[in-house]
Amino acid sequence: MNVLILANLFDRFDLTQPVGVSHYLIVGAVLFVCGALCMATKRNALGILMGIELVLNGANLNFIAFGSPYLRSDANTLGLDGQLMSLFVIVLAAAEAAVALAIALNFYNSFSTIDVDRADQLQG
Amino acid sequence: MNPETALPNLLLAALLLPLLSFAVISIGYSVPQYLGIRTQYATQKYAAYIAIGAIVTGFVLSAYALFAVWLPTHPLEVAAHHAAHNNGPPTYVTGDWYLLGQFGKLTLSIGYYIDTLTVTMFCMVTLIASCIHIYAFGYMHDELHEYTDHEVTLDDGQHLHRRGRFHRFFQYFSLFSFSMLGICVSGNLAMTFVFWELVGICSYFLIGFYIERQSASTAANKAFIVNRIGDFGMLIGLMAIWSTLGTFNFGDMQDAQGNVVSHGIFSQLHDANHHYNLAPTDSMIAFEARDEVAAAVIAAPDNPVAAMNEVARKLRADKAHPWGHWLLFVAGVGIFCGCVGKSAQFPLHTWLPDAMEGPTPVSALVHSATMVAAGVFLVGRVYPIFTPEALLVIATTGCITLFLAATIAITAVDIKRVLAYSTISQLGFMMLALGLGGWLAGLFHLITHAFFKSLLFLCSGSVIHAVHTNDMREMGGLRKKMPITAYTMLIGCLAIAGVGVPFLAGFSGFHSKDLIVEQALSHWNANAAKTGFAWLFFVVPLATAGITAFYMFRLWYMTFAGEPRDHHRYDHAHESPQVMTGPLVVLAVFAVCAGWSFPSWAPGALANFGIANLLEQARPVGTLATTSGVLFPDLTIPSEHIAHAPEMFRTIKVPAGLAAITAALLGILLATVVYLWKSISAESLARTLRPLYTLSWHKWWFDELYDFVFVRPTLAIGALVAVVLDRGLIDGIIHALAAIGKGLAVIVSVVGDRFIIDNGVDKLAAETWNVGLALRAVQTGRLRQYVMFIVVGTVVLFLIASVWRYAVAG
Amino acid sequence: MAEAIYWPTVFFWLFAVIACAFAVAVVLCANIVRMAFYLVLSLAATAALFFLAGADFVGAMQLLIYVGGTLVLLIFGVMLTSQDRFVSMKTSREEMSIAILVGACLLAVLVWAAVSVPDWNGLGRAAAEALPLEPTAAPIGMGLLGARVDAPDRSGYLLIFEIISVHLLVVLLGAAYLARAQQKRSSAVG
Repeated sequence: MNVLILANLFDRFDLTQPVGVSHYLIVGAVLFVCGALCMATKRNALGILMGIELVLNGANLNFIAFGSPYLRSDANTLGLDGQLMSLFVIVLAAAEAAVALAIALNFYNSFSTIDVDRADQLQG
Repeated sequence: MNPETALPNLLLAALLLPLLSFAVISIGYSVPQYLGIRTQYATQKYAAYIAIGAIVTGFVLSAYALFAVWLPTHPLEVAAHHAAHNNGPPTYVTGDWYLLGQFGKLTLSIGYYIDTLTVTMFCMVTLIASCIHIYAFGYMHDELHEYTDHEVTLDDGQHLHRRGRFHRFFQYFSLFSFSMLGICVSGNLAMTFVFWELVGICSYFLIGFYIERQSASTAANKAFIVNRIGDFGMLIGLMAIWSTLGTFNFGDMQDAQGNVVSHGIFSQLHDANHHYNLAPTDSMIAFEARDEVAAAVIAAPDNPVAAMNEVARKLRADKAHPWGHWLLFVAGVGIFCGCVGKSAQFPLHTWLPDAMEGPTPVSALVHSATMVAAGVFLVGRVYPIFTPEALLVIATTGCITLFLAATIAITAVDIKRVLAYSTISQLGFMMLALGLGGWLAGLFHLITHAFFKSLLFLCSGSVIHAVHTNDMREMGGLRKKMPITAYTMLIGCLAIAGVGVPFLAGFSGFHSKDLIVEQALSHWNANAAKTGFAWLFFVVPLATAGITAFYMFRLWYMTFAGEPRDHHRYDHAHESPQVMTGPLVVLAVFAVCAGWSFPSWAPGALANFGIANLLEQARPVGTLATTSGVLFPDLTIPSEHIAHAPEMFRTIKVPAGLAAITAALLGILLATVVYLWKSISAESLARTLRPLYTLSWHKWWFDELYDFVFVRPTLAIGALVAVVLDRGLIDGIIHALAAIGKGLAVIVSVVGDRFIIDNGVDKLAAETWNVGLALRAVQTGRLRQYVMFIVVGTVVLFLIASVWRYAVAG
Repeated sequence: MAEAIYWPTVFFWLFAVIACAFAVAVVLCANIVRMAFYLVLSLAATAALFFLAGADFVGAMQLLIYVGGTLVLLIFGVMLTSQDRFVSMKTSREEMSIAILVGACLLAVLVWAAVSVPDWNGLGRAAAEALPLEPTAAPIGMGLLGARVDAPDRSGYLLIFEIISVHLLVVLLGAAYLARAQQKRSSAVG
């Protein structure tokens, strides 16, 4: 099985063949992981926000990949559902970014700093 | 009227009426009192009416039974005076009223045995009881209001005030009447024993009537306990009889056709084949000869009963060894033990003087006329089972008793104590008479004694009621204030002294005592040749007759004659009301004429009517002939008719009659000299005879002796058991158990509860707290850390999902 | 012989690399403004990827909303919360290494999941080239209004559309309230 995966792995870099869902998924994964790392490591609240954006984008890529008729046979795709979901994610991400920004501004107004390490008042 | 059916019904009615009275009074008065409802004093009088009505009706029924039912069918004859053969059984009516149970061969039933003796006893008991009931109605009037008992001092120094309990007296009286009549009519020994105990209980209640007095309650205890000691011997006798004779019944039970179904104890022991002489039954011989019977049964195993009978027959003929007689002796002496207790004979005589703590009507009815007479009555009833040796034991006991009691009575100063010791002495006379073969003499004296002793007690009660003291030293000269009491008591004293015209007539006591003395002389005659002690049985009663006369007239003189010793009491003395003096007169009449009999030409049932002739008709089987002892062959019990035989007139009747009257007159003379004329002063006499006086005054130290030998060891054992066993051992065990329990509880509490549970709970709580505290550390409040957790969690979930799917798919 | 290069694949790889590289740059950079810039580029590359996958409308929306709206908003936020230049908000190296480790694990898991399904390996070239190119705006628009013209047996998205609209309204109000100017600094907690 591992041999097959390895073999598959090299096939992926073939430029003559169209890419499949897995390529998009890997890119999405990278974006997702980067976004998660951003969320986990950044001390700046807006940095975390950017991490959230990255995560959502990674997810969007997945949706689009699954819904694209060009990446796999028509019978298996999500069709337009994938794109619609992606659209909604974008809208919601925008809304959530607005709110998060408002919270960050509020926090900044209260503590005059944007360092989330300072937001430890909920500690046990 | 058929006596077979009428007599049982009449006597049953007379028996149950007092019981009914008891029940009615209990339900009407005692039950409400127990429930807290107080009965009015005015209504308590009705209790007395009920009781008196019951007993008087009982007397009427008894008299009717005697005169209208019995005598017409069994006319009296003057006693014949030949004693060639032993007499057969008397006429009797016997049967069962109620079968209580059957245990193998033994049937326990409530039954009757009615012969002339029964009917006569019924009449006597109900007549005297009626007189005393009526007397008590007046005597106990103190109980009709709040009663202050001056002999009881409470802790604060006050005398006891309590409600009167008039009704309770008559309640107990009725129960006692029922019990006594039950003994008289009883048809078997078991029933007798039951009523025996019942009489004892009633005596206990009545003696302890003034229960708050220490003296009264201890006297009641003493009476009951001493009686029970005698009953122990009685049980042995009962066991001996049952195990060999197989029945308790007195008479033969017949079926409807008149065939004998089962033999009673009398006919078993006095078989017609043996000429109605006393002979042990085959079963008794077989019991004593157990080894021989066992050997014979082994030899002939297929027919053991025949083998046993064969052995018995062979042994009966064996004159060398008295087979079966020891058992018969034991049976007789055993039953006599019960009579010793009940009739206050030596050595169980100590309870009767103390029983005078009860009210005087109780002393009159229970402790002079009836209950103590029950012992003598039983000896008379089961007379056929006594072997001559047993009769010797009875005579000895009676002899000792009569002398002992008379000597104590000489120095007693309590008027009731004198009469009590007099009662003991006269009972000794009766026992002596019975033991010497004088069945008729003994029972005759029983009946006459009942009349004059109850008369004497009632008179003394009248005196006590007037002067409020029992002590004769504070009385004197009372005959002017209480003439009726004084002169009826004089009649009683004359009767008990046995005064009369010799060979003609006299007071009732004269006749009966004469018969006793004659029988004693006849006995001496018969035994003088071979035994060395028979003269005692004549001389001692004779001397005691003199002593009796002496102390009775001492009593009369100290109470009624001379100058009053306590003027305060004398001034307050007054004659008793008519309700009390009426019975005195009635009893005085009987005390005078109870010894007489109607002539043969009297009309109807009164022909030959007299106590002696009545009793002669009831003579038990096999008691007429002269008998000799078997275990003690030198002993001869002469026939009673020898004393009255015309040819023995000069040998027996003259000397006995003269001796008796001489003794009586000497006694009266001595009493007159000392106490009336005061020619010899009583004090100097007492000083001269100081040792004798002290012996008499301290009642021969019997109470102290019994206290030392029996009471103290028992109490010591009781205390030992209580302290060592109860408090030490048992309480110790219980306390130890409790302490162990407590210790365990402490251990459980400390170790279990505090260490384990409390600590556990506390530790648990602390650990929970610590865990909480520890987990708190997770909540750092740091956003990035939370995100890291999310990411890590996601990774782990992914891994798990993948692996799972991988494993499932693969 | 070697086949001709399939240009969409090349473009895919180009934009994929850009997106990933700048995403990584966002993680590693400390300067917030530079982070914002890198993010813009990463998201733009993502939009290109959308176009390559045939989602032209969504790609356009990505550029419009995400890049042009959200990120601008982010920039505004950065401006409004600017701090003293000498305040450093770097994460410590230990945290970074742990995070990278965890991230690597997650990436490994996700990659392995991505390549484990055979169906996702892609269509053959011939099949891909045969596919028609259709714009998606009209069907999406119709779908949002409840009429699915591309797949009539599936449901429309009218309800979600409405909810999203109200949601946006609420969010705007909420955000406006949350970010209002504080009158007094002392009562900033309320």
